[in-house]
Amino acid sequence: MSQIVELTPADRRRWFMEGVRQAFTGPAYFVAVALIGVGGLARAAGFPAGVAVLSTLLIWAGPAQLLFFGAAAAKTSWLAVAVSVSLSSIRFLPMCLSVLPMLRTPGTRRSTLWLAAHFVAVTVWVESLRRLPDIDRPARMPFFFGFALACILTTSLFTGVGYFLVAALPPALAVGVLFLSPVYFLATLIRGARAPVDWFALTAGLVLAPVTEAFVGGGLDLMALGLVGGTAAYLAGRWHEARRAEP
Amino acid sequence: MSGALWPYFLLIVFGFLPSEIWRWLSVILSHGIDEGSQIFTFLKTVATVLLVGVVARLIFAPTGELAHVPLAARIGALALAGGVFAITRRNVLAAVLTGEAAIIAAGFWFLR
Repeated sequence: MSQIVELTPADRRRWFMEGVRQAFTGPAYFVAVALIGVGGLARAAGFPAGVAVLSTLLIWAGPAQLLFFGAAAAKTSWLAVAVSVSLSSIRFLPMCLSVLPMLRTPGTRRSTLWLAAHFVAVTVWVESLRRLPDIDRPARMPFFFGFALACILTTSLFTGVGYFLVAALPPALAVGVLFLSPVYFLATLIRGARAPVDWFALTAGLVLAPVTEAFVGGGLDLMALGLVGGTAAYLAGRWHEARRAEP
Repeated sequence: MSGALWPYFLLIVFGFLPSEIWRWLSVILSHGIDEGSQIFTFLKTVATVLLVGVVARLIFAPTGELAHVPLAARIGALALAGGVFAITRRNVLAAVLTGEAAIIAAGFWFLR
């Protein structure tokens, strides 16, 4: 790795604003619109608007928020809510573990990493994996915070808007809101795919998802999918590399 | 605790903490992991497969209004988005807008 040069405060600000700018080229809007429904759900479950907005700032995970308000509306026991929320967020472990090493420099404080980890969610993760490798290491952290803050604050605003608006949305538009995240995530994942192992991962996920959903219960099917499919894709990637390395 | 603060308490104890614990754990565990190491590639692959699984479920077994749009229409909208994505050399915005236009049209058709 090349020598790590410290950034001046002006450079840091410039990279922070570059992160904000890139977020507003699309990702900040996609994730914000995708989470509009959370506001409506929170209202349906009888929570005040403040809790809806705070859920985006604090949980910052669409599925976990949907589970929380959806289960609350269904009068599920709070312990069961906590367990299902936690299960749905296990994915943050591999996600954070694959972003934090890209952000870290020898001088990075532990507290900065804690804060950075909080901002990692699907959109920020996908976009970070794609954008960070092209950025010099010292500039990555300010860029990341600019990008992530733009995403989370825009989404919080939209959660608040959704709280008051979503009930008025015609069903066809609600369909559009629900369809947004899958299309967006698939497209960004494919665009970000570089090595063969990335393609193996995409294929394994699509092929195995219906299998684990049918045969693994108790809310553990996604974790099983990640571990089994991920291991298979990883091994396939290594095998492919080894074969290519042969004369 | 006063009644007005109760929902915030519920959010923090049963929503925020159970979710955030994995991010905290990752900061503790990330110390020995280098970008470019094999364990990094492995974790990235696991996270990718997990995300594809979430996406697949949203399309093939959706909840809410989307469940009332037939599977064929959902796959058709996705295929259209994929076609535009390929033609425009992986333009995410163009693909998303195409898929959205298709699914909203389908929504108007099937949810009248």
